[in-house]
Amino acid sequence: MSSPKIPEFKAEWKEGEAGRWGLAIDMDLCTGCQACVAACSMENNVPFVGEKESGYGRQMAWMRVERLWEGQYPEVKTTPFQPVMCQQCGSAPCEPVCPVFATVHAEAEQLNLQVYNRCVGTRYCANNCPYVVRVFNWADFAINPIHANPDKDGKLVFPLHNQFNPDVTVRRRGVMEKCTFCIQRIHKAEDQAKSENREVVDGDVTPACAQACPADAIIFGRLDDPQSRVSKLSQDKRAVHLLEELGTQPRVSYLSGGSHGNLG
Amino acid sequence: MTEKNLLLAIFEDIDPAASAVDALRALGIHDDHLTVISGAPITEAMLGRQHQHSNVTRFALGGAILGLGLGYFLAFVTPDMYPIVVGGQAHIPGPPTIVVLFEMIMLLMLLGTFLGVFLDSRFPNYTPTQYVPEISDGRIGLLIECAGALEQNVEKAMNELGAESVKRAQAEVL
Amino acid sequence: MAISASALPRAHAEEHLDHEAELRKEHLMLDPRPRGEMNAMVMESMLTTSWKFWAIAALMALIVAVGLFGAWGYMISEGLYVATVNRPMYWSYFLVHTVFWIGISHAGTFVSALLRVFKAEFRRPFTRAAELMTTFGLVQAGIHIFAHMGRVWLTYWMFPFPNQRQLWTNFHSPLMWDFLAINTYLLSSTMYLFLPLIPDLAMARDRSTGWRKTFYRILALGWRGTEAEWTHLRIALNIFAFAILPVMFSVHTIVSWDFAAAMRPGWSSTIFGPYFVVGALQSGVSAVAMVVITLRYTMKNMDYFIRKEHFDALGKLMLVISMAWAYFFFNDYMVQWYGGDKWTDALLHFHEAGPAGWVWLMMLITNIAIPWLVLWNKNWRRNPWILFTVGLLANVGMWAERFIIIPVSLQINRMPFMWGQGIKFGVEIPIFIGSIAFFILLYMIASRLIPLVPVWEVQEGQMAHSIRKYGKEPVVSVADLE
Repeated sequence: MSSPKIPEFKAEWKEGEAGRWGLAIDMDLCTGCQACVAACSMENNVPFVGEKESGYGRQMAWMRVERLWEGQYPEVKTTPFQPVMCQQCGSAPCEPVCPVFATVHAEAEQLNLQVYNRCVGTRYCANNCPYVVRVFNWADFAINPIHANPDKDGKLVFPLHNQFNPDVTVRRRGVMEKCTFCIQRIHKAEDQAKSENREVVDGDVTPACAQACPADAIIFGRLDDPQSRVSKLSQDKRAVHLLEELGTQPRVSYLSGGSHGNLG
Repeated sequence: MTEKNLLLAIFEDIDPAASAVDALRALGIHDDHLTVISGAPITEAMLGRQHQHSNVTRFALGGAILGLGLGYFLAFVTPDMYPIVVGGQAHIPGPPTIVVLFEMIMLLMLLGTFLGVFLDSRFPNYTPTQYVPEISDGRIGLLIECAGALEQNVEKAMNELGAESVKRAQAEVL
Repeated sequence: MAISASALPRAHAEEHLDHEAELRKEHLMLDPRPRGEMNAMVMESMLTTSWKFWAIAALMALIVAVGLFGAWGYMISEGLYVATVNRPMYWSYFLVHTVFWIGISHAGTFVSALLRVFKAEFRRPFTRAAELMTTFGLVQAGIHIFAHMGRVWLTYWMFPFPNQRQLWTNFHSPLMWDFLAINTYLLSSTMYLFLPLIPDLAMARDRSTGWRKTFYRILALGWRGTEAEWTHLRIALNIFAFAILPVMFSVHTIVSWDFAAAMRPGWSSTIFGPYFVVGALQSGVSAVAMVVITLRYTMKNMDYFIRKEHFDALGKLMLVISMAWAYFFFNDYMVQWYGGDKWTDALLHFHEAGPAGWVWLMMLITNIAIPWLVLWNKNWRRNPWILFTVGLLANVGMWAERFIIIPVSLQINRMPFMWGQGIKFGVEIPIFIGSIAFFILLYMIASRLIPLVPVWEVQEGQMAHSIRKYGKEPVVSVADLE
């Protein structure tokens, strides 16, 4: 039973509609340098957690570069580096389980939104995410003096305070966060395009991770534009989706198996 | 002018109390003018009286219907009031609506039952009423409303049947 | 010849007398005393205290202030990093303890509703004690639910009410079903606690003076015990008893769906609903046994109301429920083990042979082995020390079960790079100890304020029971007085 003004999103996604914004990550090019992780954290005001809390598993980076290996010593082979971030699933398992609608699907951008103001911190969304890409603010890492560092004069310094991005909010404790495909950059590009009376074209929007990658392994763009780089790459025969069998319809394609990669 | 008096006869056991009810009927005191008060539940049948009617089940049913309405509102109307899309499920998903409907039906049915007891019994009642504390010690009290002329006969009959006490019922704050 | 002929009938008469006396000693329902005397016993039990009682109450209050509210306040101001949660173990002890307390709260409903529906007369002296466990257990469960939230001061956003934010709550979410179900259960069981309490409050009102009399007078609502009042009460109690059973089943099923509705290995199991309900009954009935034993040996006059027959009955229930739990556990385990899905395989191996393997083993020993080895024996069931210990161990086992299902299962997922370890100690532990102390404290306060034994129900039962001769054997006869 649905009201006529709501489009049947489920049917659309199930048809195999690609979505609007997407990423293609070429694992054969990725060097594992983690510049993308650093750039993402700097772009999105991700707080510095510190060594102790990171050791306890409270690291807050929105992206990670997975390094795995196969085999037993001494025949150990590394697998290609795998940068993982929020897959912006078309059928996101994190969305139905939030009791207060803090994680919803954006109809316009066709992304999974995390609404910081609404989150009450039940963390069910994080438990239900099969990619484990959601990150929780366990403390006020950005303002609680316990988590600051003393500088050479003994004054407490918050590293984040030197590099705030004014386009992005700073989250308080108790709130969930995750990769947004740099939605602030998407909006800026769309505003610019609208004021010039045109559509956003390939190259207008570059998220921080794609911008920082020295190997150009991260490609971002419009999946619904068949001419865009990311569209073509996601149709490539080297392209797979992570955990595709779960039916989450992720918007990130992973390319591997070419001559640079270790495995097929 | 017939003056009506309230007498309270206290019995210790059920058999004399049942005989007393018969005796009162013989004296012309109608069942409606007799209230039985006891410390443990005694069914009307035990004293040979008419079945007592209660509205509690109607309140329960009314509550259940209200609960159905509330559950319908929460499950079917609120998603459309300010529509928000969450992926993977229809806008108004089937199985969760069953859960919401069930819980609201049960909640309001039980609230209705509770309210029904209060309304039917006229709780809370802190005004002075006819009562003696012996009743909560297991006695059976017969609160008799009789015409002044009959009072002597009633008293005699009760005493003959073994009443512990028969006196004018005083309305006291409990 | 003549001597033996006359000796025989006398011996028989003595035997029968003994047998009857035995029956009266064993069964409360066959050992009636005047209502006034029972009233006095219950009032005395409520009013008698000793310095030991107040010392323990003060200790509990201290633990509550420091362990529960102190530690919780600290956590609210600092953030959840002082708890043991991390990534990927986003839920840890708080959820374990939530489920634990909701499980214990099923005790009351089971005893007062299920046993009432099945006309198990042995329930009569301790239904109120069990119902108090439900209300107080749900308070502790609520504390732990609030405690697990990142921004607990915004909890009211989970309440569906019209607002200017143009937002209702998300009924897709099992947490919202939890909200509705647990609130329904809390309200219903509190009403179900209060209704049969009214006649006993009236009795207490009649036998009190001073502030107590005012207190009971107000709460007794002017109850006299008229035919009409009893009729309304009886009908209401029947409706409640039948209706609160599906509510009870739905509550723990919905709690289980917090886990079963998630797409995680080990969690999305279709048998979680009944598995959790039976688990709740296991911890609930064991807790009832513990509470009933404690009341019997610490409160005055309780030795009249609570007898070995009650321990016997509770012990048998614990055994049957333990068997049911083993059935559901094995069902869940067998199907997951057989399926061969690699993540579930990894998870099961992690359960049994990982760092928490000893907890898994302890769960099986305390939930299955010990009840099955001990509770079949009638004399052992009737021994309060043994029954208390078995009940306590069963609760430890159920705690272990929830520990395995929640924090341990969360450490395994489909992205092996993100498998993680839990942190061992955090603020959840003082909060849990504080909540146990809070439960005990609330119970102790209640034992001073309201009569713990529903005397009118005991009298009603005694009215219905009699001993009659079936041939030469004195047998218990129960009438259906409704």
